Amino acid sequence: MQGHLHLIGSRYDSGQTYLSQRSFRAPLHLSKPHEDAGALVVNMVNPTAGIFDGDTIELSVEAEVGASLVLTTPSASRVYRSRSGGPAKVTQRFSVKAGGLLEFFPEPFIPQAGARYQQKTELRAMAGGRLLFFDWLTPGRVASGEVFRYAELNWDLDAIVDDQLVARERYRLSPEDLSLEALHQVNPQAHYLSCVCLGEMAFPVAEIEALNSPEVYLGHGPLCSGGFTIKALCQDSLSARRTLQQLRSILYAALQRPMPSLGRYL
Amino acid sequence: MFPEWLPWLLQVNDSQFPSGAYAHSMGLEELVQRGVVKKPDDLEMFLHRQIIPSLLAFELPFLIRAHALAAASEPEKLRALDDELDAWKLAAELRLASRQLGSRRLSLVQKLEEDPFLTTYVQSGAPCHHLIACALELRHLPVAAAVCAFALQTISGYAISAMKLIRLGQERCQLIIRGSMAILAPQLEGVIASPPERIGWFNPLLEIASMRHARANERLFIS
Repeated sequence: MQGHLHLIGSRYDSGQTYLSQRSFRAPLHLSKPHEDAGALVVNMVNPTAGIFDGDTIELSVEAEVGASLVLTTPSASRVYRSRSGGPAKVTQRFSVKAGGLLEFFPEPFIPQAGARYQQKTELRAMAGGRLLFFDWLTPGRVASGEVFRYAELNWDLDAIVDDQLVARERYRLSPEDLSLEALHQVNPQAHYLSCVCLGEMAFPVAEIEALNSPEVYLGHGPLCSGGFTIKALCQDSLSARRTLQQLRSILYAALQRPMPSLGRYL
Repeated sequence: MFPEWLPWLLQVNDSQFPSGAYAHSMGLEELVQRGVVKKPDDLEMFLHRQIIPSLLAFELPFLIRAHALAAASEPEKLRALDDELDAWKLAAELRLASRQLGSRRLSLVQKLEEDPFLTTYVQSGAPCHHLIACALELRHLPVAAAVCAFALQTISGYAISAMKLIRLGQERCQLIIRGSMAILAPQLEGVIASPPERIGWFNPLLEIASMRHARANERLFIS
């Protein structure tokens, strides 16, 4: 399938955020957005079983000047075994302008045995804009005994602040080589969390440091300019979920903003 | 015929060359404290299974690009790669360590031999990452020499810092370095002949370790 989601969040003079542009195509669908804590919360739904090889999905989400937009997913994203030998491809761009806030908080990504997947992410924040990007990579269908059994994941990320590249990641994960070694070494079923925060904020060092525990190995630090990164290796899905929820709460407190509800009880 | 660049290569790669590398463990100290690396065998595994793959998939292909630009006297393009390295190195301590090592090396190299190209580059305010410094100081040498030198500096940097962190003697340390280079060296020709277009490596463990080391209550090493 060739799906897409294009969203632009704009700001009324009253301060409320609305979707000035909205376009989507299967397998993506939007639930009715709701406003909470000064932000417009948009749930992106994939009503199909998941993502299959040959699927190409393009996301483009922008928060305009002064707008506050939260994009989330109500359930995990699954990528199924590649039958053709080719990958599924997702390209996602998130951008925020001055005075705006954009958050992307997806549920976990579950690559099943034999899955092939490429994800390209571009994060872009202009001066005065703030962007929170979360990523949760699971080892697979652990309950079914599928632990790191996917065929190949290619992950690309660029973060840009005021036209300066401030973070770049490229990696290929495959059980065929040593690319999963770092995950295995901490925990045989490690869940990997990644968060990028762009824009000015008083980074809550002590609170984030306190998220470390015997189940969670977490590090954080400033990017070369304009933001911070947080990474964690978690023992299981429960500790990963708990860490992300706490992290989100801490970051909103640091932004001195109430945390928008995602509209689900987890 | 005697290669006239050989004395230069040996001098700038000598373990006594005061680059400041002895003060950096590049995240290894935290991995030792975490219990990931507890004994020489663990160190060997760490080098073979995490550092060598990273060198082959990221640092060495990047160095090959940088060396080509340095050899062609392309300071603007080289500066772009230098700036790009700032973005690649997500862990602040690793980023700063790389800049410190590179700057220190270039500072000394300028004193050893007059080199207007290098002086102009340093004075431009470039980050001077270790990898870029290696490309610059060895730009008149064959790329194979630069690649091999950088790989050895990386491997030996970890192994020598490990002597202060775990029970590891000098002889075993040299055996580990030799073993690692014996694995790496046969693969260098292939990387040089056809460097991968898409470079990068996944090691959140080392990144997190470095990020945590920056806030450690007690430590021997700067990084």
